[in-house]
Amino acid sequence: MAECEAKSEVTGSVWKIVTEVGQQVEAGDTIMIIESMKMEIPVVAEESGTIKAFLVKEETPVTEGQVVAVLES
Amino acid sequence: MSADRKTEGSPETRRVRLEREFAARQAKALAMGGAERIARRTAAGVLNARSRIDGLLDPESFIESGLFGVSSSRAEDRDRSAADGKITGFGRIEGREVAVVSNDFTVMGASSSSTNGRKIAHAKRVATQRGLPLIFLGESSGARMPDHMGSRGMGTLLGNDPTQYVRMRETPWASATLGLSFGSSSWYAVLSDFCVVRKGAVLAVSSSLLASLAIGEAVDPQDLGGWKLHAEVTGFADMVVETDEEALAAIRNFLSYLPSHCNEAPPELAVPEGSGADMANVIDLLPEKRTQVYDVRKIIRAIVDKDSFFELKPRFGKVGVTGLSRIGGRTVGIIANNPLSKGGALDTDACEKITSFLVLCDSFNIPVVLLVDTPGFAIGTDAERKRAPGKIMNFMQALQMFSMPKISVVLRKSYGQAYLNMGGGRNSDEVAAWPTAEVSFMDPTFAVKVVHGLSPGDAGFDEAFASMSKDSEVWDMAGAYAVQSVIEPHTTRDYLIRMLEVHRSRMTNGVGQHLLRAWPTSY
Repeated sequence: MAECEAKSEVTGSVWKIVTEVGQQVEAGDTIMIIESMKMEIPVVAEESGTIKAFLVKEETPVTEGQVVAVLES
Repeated sequence: MSADRKTEGSPETRRVRLEREFAARQAKALAMGGAERIARRTAAGVLNARSRIDGLLDPESFIESGLFGVSSSRAEDRDRSAADGKITGFGRIEGREVAVVSNDFTVMGASSSSTNGRKIAHAKRVATQRGLPLIFLGESSGARMPDHMGSRGMGTLLGNDPTQYVRMRETPWASATLGLSFGSSSWYAVLSDFCVVRKGAVLAVSSSLLASLAIGEAVDPQDLGGWKLHAEVTGFADMVVETDEEALAAIRNFLSYLPSHCNEAPPELAVPEGSGADMANVIDLLPEKRTQVYDVRKIIRAIVDKDSFFELKPRFGKVGVTGLSRIGGRTVGIIANNPLSKGGALDTDACEKITSFLVLCDSFNIPVVLLVDTPGFAIGTDAERKRAPGKIMNFMQALQMFSMPKISVVLRKSYGQAYLNMGGGRNSDEVAAWPTAEVSFMDPTFAVKVVHGLSPGDAGFDEAFASMSKDSEVWDMAGAYAVQSVIEPHTTRDYLIRMLEVHRSRMTNGVGQHLLRAWPTSY
């Protein structure tokens, strides 16, 4: 099992986490949505895997490149 | 009787002797670095330099130049330097002539030498003078040692060609990095108009061993120059593939969109059946809510000829989508904002990517279509540190100097300076807008804050926002003829086919001015 990180590609704040720990996701699936520049910008899974942990909560401010979730693939 | 062994004996004997010698020398050259090395590569699933040429070119079309070249610096290397490690020649792709340089890593690591330097120079000279695309299949350990050592080595081997690294884009260059690639093999890769990298390959200035010696710490080759670095960080990789075969197919595909040289229009192909079939519902690909994002590539694929979208640098500067395509059978460059990434706010990577794409299209007579949905340029301290003003102006200058037809279609947002960079106003030959377009100096939410000092949730915000948003609708702009057309989304493909025909460069037989031909290949 390899771990992979999901990162926010924008500075903003976590608007909505749309997955749960333990949930299986496919590459391209939305894990959570960041609000930035008045837009809803998804954090998507780069690879298929299972959500192992979230490193942020809803309304947490995030910066560009910040790891927001860890997946096991 | 003559002592000359070439002419000794009867004509029959002489012919046999000449044939035997030729066959022996030919077999030795074609054996490359030996059966054992070739077998190791085959076992690893990697093609050799000659099988790569076979996979690249039309069958039986290769004519080699320099088969009998060997090391000319050191006599002791002559017997182990088949074709001197770089196989060069000419062949055809889809019936069109091309020039090829294929590095043979089994021969002295395909290191650069005096003889193979002359072979590459010849291939480049012929390609440039005769109008042939030039292809580099890269895998080289760099400069040959010890040939280059000392002042005699330097004086003899380097700097003798003042045009060695000049790109004037007379003809397209395409490269594949298919193994360890250092020195000139990397230089030619990044000088090319298209650079495909196979996973597992390394494209770097020098080897990880040399880098480790220089900086005193272990360096992982993939960190130094692996596919992920070049796909996502440097942007050098236009495409990443899993196998050699896929890389060769990618080069063939890339060249199918391009003319053989800068003085002709790109080839035209038949329009595939089913093209435009998804246009009826194209509006459904655009979210109704203005804060929601979507993948603009779905809209691109609906508009262009079926399966013709050839995306470049998909993992770099993802806010900007660039790719070659065909519309109505003719090559068209697509530049689009992708709201899926960063909401479509253009960052410096996207600026570089779009600039280099404009240079490619301008150099090889390819019109562009810009699909616009951007809230503007990404701003903030990070953008300024990455020299955003310079990148934005490089992009802008490239667009204004672009001499082929350019048509801009505003799908949704077009704000501020980004409105100009994406072809707004007179920065394209035609501007069309979907009825969903909103054009203004800044996002109405920010404008309400700047003008009225109100934030969402404040009393009066909603009214002020509604007023500010109404002024952003496209109809006033159409009324002033600042967009030439408002088009229904499902008619976009037909509109573009027709308008690209109107704007065809008839006066020059489809050839542009190439004002960007000497611009860099990376920024």
